[in-house]
Order: sequence, then structure tokens, then C-alpha cells
Amino acid sequence: MVRSSRFLSILALVALLVAACGPSGGQAPSTAAAGSTITVMSLWGGSEQDSFQKVLDAFKTKTGVTATYESIRQDYATTLQTRIASGKPPDIAIIPGIGFLRQFARQGSLKKVGDLGIDANALKPNYPPGILEVGQVDGNQYAIMVKFNSKSTFWYRPDKFKTMSMTPAKDWDSFTKQLADIKAKGQTPLGLGAGDSWTLTDWFEEIYLRQTGGPDKYDQLFSGKLPWTDPTVAATVDAMKAALNDNNVAGGIKAALGRNFTDGIGQAFSTNPTAVLYYEGGFVGGIATGQTNTALKVGDTIDWFDFPANKFSNSVEIGGDVIAAFTTKPGVKEFMQYMTTADAGSVWAGTGAVLSPIKAVPASVYPNDLAKREAAQVSGATAVRFDGSDLLPSGGGDDMGAALQDAIQGKTVDWAKFETAMQAKWKAEK
Amino acid sequence: MGLAPTPAVPQERPIRASTKAARRARGPEKPNYGSAILFLLPAGVLLIVFLLYPTLYTILLSFNRGRNGVFGTWVGLDNYTRLFSDPDFLNLGTFPPSGALWNNVLWIIFYTSTVIALGLVISVIAARVRYEALIKAVVFVPMAIAATALAVIWKFVYAPDVNIGLLNALLSVFAISPISWLGDQAVVNAALIAVGVWGSVGFATVILSAAVKSIPNEIIESARVEGASERAVFFRIIIPMVSLPISVLAVTLIVNVIKLFDLIYVMTAGGPGTASRVIAFTMYQQAFQAGQYGYGSAVAVVMLIVLIPIIVFNVRRFRTQAVT
Repeated sequence: MVRSSRFLSILALVALLVAACGPSGGQAPSTAAAGSTITVMSLWGGSEQDSFQKVLDAFKTKTGVTATYESIRQDYATTLQTRIASGKPPDIAIIPGIGFLRQFARQGSLKKVGDLGIDANALKPNYPPGILEVGQVDGNQYAIMVKFNSKSTFWYRPDKFKTMSMTPAKDWDSFTKQLADIKAKGQTPLGLGAGDSWTLTDWFEEIYLRQTGGPDKYDQLFSGKLPWTDPTVAATVDAMKAALNDNNVAGGIKAALGRNFTDGIGQAFSTNPTAVLYYEGGFVGGIATGQTNTALKVGDTIDWFDFPANKFSNSVEIGGDVIAAFTTKPGVKEFMQYMTTADAGSVWAGTGAVLSPIKAVPASVYPNDLAKREAAQVSGATAVRFDGSDLLPSGGGDDMGAALQDAIQGKTVDWAKFETAMQAKWKAEK
Repeated sequence: MGLAPTPAVPQERPIRASTKAARRARGPEKPNYGSAILFLLPAGVLLIVFLLYPTLYTILLSFNRGRNGVFGTWVGLDNYTRLFSDPDFLNLGTFPPSGALWNNVLWIIFYTSTVIALGLVISVIAARVRYEALIKAVVFVPMAIAATALAVIWKFVYAPDVNIGLLNALLSVFAISPISWLGDQAVVNAALIAVGVWGSVGFATVILSAAVKSIPNEIIESARVEGASERAVFFRIIIPMVSLPISVLAVTLIVNVIKLFDLIYVMTAGGPGTASRVIAFTMYQQAFQAGQYGYGSAVAVVMLIVLIPIIVFNVRRFRTQAVT
């Protein structure tokens, strides 16, 4: 760490020197902060990093501010927290989860968007309802969501559905019936990678948001205001178990508990599939077509439909990343501001790596149909809710995942005890 | 398991300083405090900077909110009351109990006893066969593997996919469905302890084998002549005669367990949920991830308190040995 920050400061120095020696004025963009250098830290690497670099390049062309990207691939949260504690935070960082956002905001490490000189209210028209709220802590806007995925997408094999002469179910009851039908036709319906317990929390959240609880109760449950002993929780777990059981999951529940999320995708979309359906967010498309099986064809061997729980059909769950500023150095405000513009959103979304939450990003920038429809699903929703387990205090999402792992094995979950533990976590956060 | 444990080898009886000094005496004996301080200075400074100061800082911090590692709001014993009401740290409300502290207790009981028992049995049995060196070499090999590498290897062994996981592949031969060794809250601690044992038996074998060999042959021979069974020889002669090395070993192993971190971090990250957390992992998680340095410091202090009786025991034993 010491070495990398020293390296960065040398880099910054070099950049400053180069900037100082270069021709002043001329075609350089005339921003007050032009010529300054800021660091942006995130956990993206590989192709994700390349995509983000395009945004940083576009930012430089526009403002003249150099944004140096710092990629921390492992132990991101720990590294960030330690950097903050040692008084050397990056200027801007992707915040790994909303629990961390609250942590950093309440410990006073983050700069409010307003402190940077950006009017948070003025940003409102740029976003669909529910998006800016994700970046708020105790009523103050600290962070801004810059990319997201829908989590209300259910992935399936259109070819298999065609041979079974079926169409995707539209509501929960017909969905569970359909699972039995698929089974009766000699196929195993579901892939599941429950070793990554967040796939189970996503199942829970989907059913809770769209079927058993609805958006209002969802807000209360994931902010500590509604106890986990509420009957809606047990009802959701029962609904989950109606789908996720040894009959419906390829290979059975035991094996699924040791399978990770990407192998779960493989169950439905590898060259040798054992299932016809797989539930997870919009990012499944990229992984399935890019890594699992490059021969997949959208609309033919892979596609998605709205998560079939639809009592509250206008609610959509999303997951995403927010960025926030740790300093008020020149260039930081410009960068935060830039990330709220349709320009930045279009550059980034055009790489196919992300969906942009910015309203003015035209659907035409998305390079493929899957992403286009995913963006439309979210922009068409009246209630957009953020991934609930990411909203829980530190460690809460893991506990929730472990409880659900128990539940699908048929063990009884003591929700009263769970509630006590969760309340302690909420209290500890304050 | 952690750093290669440093065997606490009993010290040789020290040469009496006074006799040595007397031999070199130049006139009346006068302690030279100046040079004593000079010689102690380097070690003393290092200890103060890297041990004493951090310890005191940590203890103070544990009574503070300590956000970002700096002193902010003093909260008294708040961190401690919170810690002992945190079911992730210690939950005595269920049977069996659970939580990080309880997991350390499990480790102390099962890991320490299994390592010593296996080490003793292997060293006694190996001593009777011609290929003793080979057996010892095989048992010792895991000691040469870094703990992180060991953890990665065993992650593969435990993999639930029968095409990757050796253990589940073996089970599948007997048509037993795969077990999620690291994904099941009921199994995970046993699975981790087994890895710890595998990594440390070699160390125990080497120490105990040397101890067993140092038992004078005449004692064992005469016992046999007197008609003692092999069992009696093992339990009534060998074990009592190697009890000192066993206790040294036990202390080393227990200290290793209390500071155990690497295996857990690499293999399960404390999961599933919080089922396999141990004290050191909780400290890391709370302080450096959740940013609650005060709370994390309280965990560290509890760790220190747990270690104190063991340190006292160790120091006492060395002292008695030094005088006898």
C-alpha cells in the first residue's frame, strides 16, 4: 500500500510537471480545475476497468482534469477503510455496499454532495425515483449511483421452452405450477448456486418485494423498522421453498449449497445443461454469453422474463454501485458532476459493461437487446428498490444468507433470534 | 497453521552469573548500570515501540468509540457489554453454544488434543519400524507448506463439486451425495479443525519423537522384563516421561489457536454466515472492515486476557526449571 501510494504520488507529480511544461491555454478545456489530478479508487479490473477508463478519458477531454484510476482487486473494503483511517483516502471511490456507505458517512469520512458545491436537488430530474435515495445517509446526499443492474430478471432457455411448448410464467402461482410441468416433461427446472448465499438473499428479496411484502414493507424490513418475525418473512421463505427444493433444483439442494453462482449459471447455459431456468440479476447475460458458453444466442438459447412474482408488479429490485468523494480537491466536484451527466452515462453504457441510471442516456447506446430491455424494465417501474441485503448493516447480509441456506435445507430458522442479532447490528452502526 | 510454531525448548540450566563474574573479578564487584542499560536499550526500545505502546493504545481504544483508530467519544465499558451480548461473538443461549469465542474453545479442545494424540501415537509406532524416517518425513511435509497454501489446497479437497473435490469424489464412489464441507454451519468447524490438525501433526511428531527417544531404554526394558504389557508401558511409562514436552507442545498449540486467523480467512472468511469466525477474525473484521476500531480493540483485549493464564503458566514453568 505504501509503495502504491508513493508510486501514485510520483505519478501525480510527473503529471503535474508535464501539465506545467505543456503549452498553456490553447485548445485545453477551460475548467477552473483543469490541470489538476484526482484519484478514483474501485475494485474493477480487466474489461470492467477498460470500460471505466473510457469514462475517465472522456472526462479528461471534457474538463482537463486527470483522473487516475486505482484498482484494488482484493479486500477492497479493508483497504479503503485502512486508507481512510491512515488519513490518505482516495479522492473519490466506489463504495462497496450501502452498509459501507453509512459507515463511511457516519464516521465523517465522506464529503456530502452539497459540500462539493453540487446542488443535490438539481440532480433529481436526472434520475428515476428511488435511485438518488440509495446514496443518502440520514437524509443527506453523500453518494451517487453510477451503474446498476436489474435483479428482477429470470433467465431461461427459449429453445427448451419451445420444445415443451411453454411460455414463461407471468405470476407466482403459475410459475410454481410450471415448475411441476417442466419436471413432468422430463426436465429439471432450476439451476441454483446457493454456495454464494447472496443468490438466496436475492431470491428472497424478489419474492418479498414483488409478491409477499411489497415495496413499503420492503423498505421497513431492510431498514430495521419491521421485525423479521413479521409473518411476511415466513411466507416468503415458504414461497422460496416451494420453488427451491430437491424436486426442482438440478442435482438437489445439498449439492446446490456447495455450488457457486457462476456454476449455477452453467447448469442452465453451459454446453451441457441440466436445467432450463436460472434466476439472478441482469449481469447473468454477460457472464453466460461471455464466459459460460460463447455459442449462446440471445432469444434462441438465452433470454429473460420478468421475475414471475407480480402481486406488486410495478416494483423492480436493482443492485448497483455508488461513488462518493473523500476530499474537496479541485477536480473532485467536476468529476462527481460529470458522473451525473448523460455524456458519462452514454460513454459507459455504450461499452456494454453497465446500465446507466441516468434518464437522459438514450436506449440506443446499449450495444445489445438484453441490456436495452433491462434498462427499460427499470425505467418503466414505479417502485425501484435497492438490493435489501446490501442495505443491512455490516455482516447482516451474510447472516441473512446463512439463515436462508438453513431454510432451504428444511431447517427451522429462529427469526426471533435473527431479529435480536440484526437489531444489535443496527444499533452498533449508529 | 500460522507461522511455524517456535518450540518452547526448555532452557539449559544457566551458568551462574556470579561464578562467572567472580572468575573475572577485577577488584570489588560493582554493578555497571550504564553498560547494562546500553545493552538493554535496543531491545527495550523495540519492545516499547512495537509491543508496549500498541498494547496500551489498544486497551485505551477499547474504551472508546475509536472510529478510524483515533480517540473520539469515550464509551466506558460499552464495547465490552456489546461484545458479550453479540451472538456472533458468544452465544450460550443455544445448545451447543456458538460464536467466535466458542469456536476458539472448540479449536483448543479438539485441535490440541488430536494433534498431541496423533503425534504421540505416530512417534511411538514409527520408532518400531525400519522406515521410520520415511513416515516422519511424510507426516512432516505439511509443516513445510505455508498456511495460506495449505488452506487453498484444502479448499479444493473440500470442494462440493465431485469433479474438483477429492473428498466428495471419494464419497460418490460409495454413492453418498456430496457434502458441502465448508458451506454447512454444522460441519464447517470440524472441517477446518481437521485441516489445522493435518498441518500440525508433523510438528508434534517431531517434538514427541525426540522426547520418546530420550527415555532411557533400560527403564522400558526392565518394565517389560517385569511383565508390563505394551499398553502399560505406553500409558504408565512413556506418557508420564514425556509429559513435559507434551505440556510445552500443548501451550504452543493453544497459543497458535488463539491467534488463529489465516486458515479461516482463506477458507471460509468466517462463513457460512458467521459460523466459523474465531476471535482473531472477529477483531480483523470489526476493526479493519467495519471501521469500528474501538469494538475491534475490545476483541483484541479479550484475546490478550485469554492468553494471559497461558503466558503465566509458561513463564512459571521456565522459572522452576531454571532453579531445579
